[in-house]
Amino acid sequence: MSISSTTSSIRESGWREQLHQIRYQLWRNPLVLIGLLIVTFWVVVAIFAMVLSPYEPLQQNVNDRLLSPGSGDHLWGTDELGRDIFSRVMYGGRITIPAGISVIVIGSVIGILMGGIAGYAGGIWDEILMRITELFMAFPTIILAMAITAALGPDIRNAVIALVVVWWPSYARLVRGLVLEIKNNEYVDAARSVGASGTYILFRTILPNCVAPAIVLMTLDIGNAILTFAGLSFLGLGSEPTSPEWGRMVAIGIDYFDQWWMWLFPGAAIASLVMAFNFIGDGLRDIADPRLR
Amino acid sequence: MSLQVYILRRLLFVIPLLLGITVVSFLIANAVPADPINANLPQNVLNDPEIVGAFREKWGLDKPPVEQYLTYIGNLLRGDMGMSIKTRKPVIDDIRQFLPATIELSTVSIIVGLVMGVSFGVISAVRQNTIIDYVVRIFALVGVSFPVFVLALIGLSILHAQLGWVAGPGRLNFVAKAPPTVTGLFTIDSLLAGQWETFRDAVSHLVLPSLILGSYVAGIIARITRSSLLEVLRFDYMRTARSKGMREFWVIWRHGLSNAMIPVVTIIGLSYGNLLAGAVLVESIFAWPGIGRYMFRASTSQDFPAIMGVSMLIAFIYVAVNFIVDILYYFLDPRIRVA
Repeated sequence: MSISSTTSSIRESGWREQLHQIRYQLWRNPLVLIGLLIVTFWVVVAIFAMVLSPYEPLQQNVNDRLLSPGSGDHLWGTDELGRDIFSRVMYGGRITIPAGISVIVIGSVIGILMGGIAGYAGGIWDEILMRITELFMAFPTIILAMAITAALGPDIRNAVIALVVVWWPSYARLVRGLVLEIKNNEYVDAARSVGASGTYILFRTILPNCVAPAIVLMTLDIGNAILTFAGLSFLGLGSEPTSPEWGRMVAIGIDYFDQWWMWLFPGAAIASLVMAFNFIGDGLRDIADPRLR
Repeated sequence: MSLQVYILRRLLFVIPLLLGITVVSFLIANAVPADPINANLPQNVLNDPEIVGAFREKWGLDKPPVEQYLTYIGNLLRGDMGMSIKTRKPVIDDIRQFLPATIELSTVSIIVGLVMGVSFGVISAVRQNTIIDYVVRIFALVGVSFPVFVLALIGLSILHAQLGWVAGPGRLNFVAKAPPTVTGLFTIDSLLAGQWETFRDAVSHLVLPSLILGSYVAGIIARITRSSLLEVLRFDYMRTARSKGMREFWVIWRHGLSNAMIPVVTIIGLSYGNLLAGAVLVESIFAWPGIGRYMFRASTSQDFPAIMGVSMLIAFIYVAVNFIVDILYYFLDPRIRVA
């Protein structure tokens, strides 16, 4: 497959050449650059929210309830308890970004291990692990995640756990396919002929070659993970009711439909972050697999 | 391979999957810390052992898990999914009541998504690397980035509240009476009963949610159509078709699209899952009385019989749709027939 062949060709060239490649590809795919900028923006805002935000995210002010944007000192208006929307949106990234990244990272680690074992061990292990994978993929993501979160009890940690359970199978599938392909390469035979153990071969010679395609899938996927997490929160299965989490803020905003700033700003925050990740993922995939361009 | 053998082979693959789905739903509902007793009985009776005991017995909570599962499967085969703790009605009755609304919504949505997705994908591929291509691709990327619930709110606020072009939440107006039930799909039932006013009302209520759900999957379909068609356009037979003087439209339609459709059909099957998932969010915003909203209510009140029933049903539908897609391959891809 061309993803693995492209990455191995990058591996062969020197790092200086690589840097040049990266710069060239960024110039060819300006969307990747835009995406990187937006993600950096949100990460910085989330880290320095305490310094940057004009108000405390939980600070209520009964006299300033439901102010429209720009009125008073509230750039994006206030909500039904007089909390500053602008500040709350700034804090929102603190929940969403780590949640999305944890889902993808933990999910991909589990998936890579499962897929690696299935592909390398083959036989009955492959059969069992892949049937389990298919089983989990038979449920639409948010449905299974809803059931799991409902069972574990609704909070952010459990929402992340639920999403991990839902997320690992696609990585297992991807990596299994790659391992089956890589397994027959000469350097794997070479490692075996010098007496390397199965574990060594899998972890040191095969799996490192699966990392690059997995990373492409991760960047393509993280937007989706964030959307699903926000969806769970929106349904009341994620964050605490009072917490400045974007999905939850939109859900509260529905009851105040005419006060559009209550749902539009946090909603736009989710969209911009997801869009940025999609720009990066899309660009990375184009670079890895130029046929799709 | 004959069609019968092919279907049989696929079925052999599907049946264990369906059994597995029941196991997964059962495990989730049972191997969890959340105690349905705490969730479903009022605080003041939790200390009353008699009421708690009766509740345990009624829902079979005092038996070992394996026995519980076998009982559950036995009941399931007889069409009994247990009683919803929240609505106090059999889950199967609830599903029967709510499913038609979801079927109506998702069918219209997948058609909307398909028409939008395929046409944008084709335009984008045929005009590759032109300004149209870029606009379509960026629109698709932005579209899939918006949470479906935010799109729904924006749509409601502009098309319904501001412009008044379409009806708002619900399947019908408050005052309107549902047409006599034949299929449960209001659009078809109202036509069968000859109630034009109700039909127009039902359609007006369908437009916005199906547009939102449809565009939710259109982005993915457009992307796949584009890349698949781009690959096909490169083949020699495309040039042959042009060189024999065929009109460009027919070249694309007959030789291009028909060969590019296989991945698109796959993705339709897969995005049907997305659609059902999106339906949970859209239905809860549009007060659409379907199984998505039912699932939402069940999961926030830890109504496990209902959660199990609906998630199983949705997984079954998803598997069934993909089964149909597999059967479609048989007709779309002649290679399967010879293999």
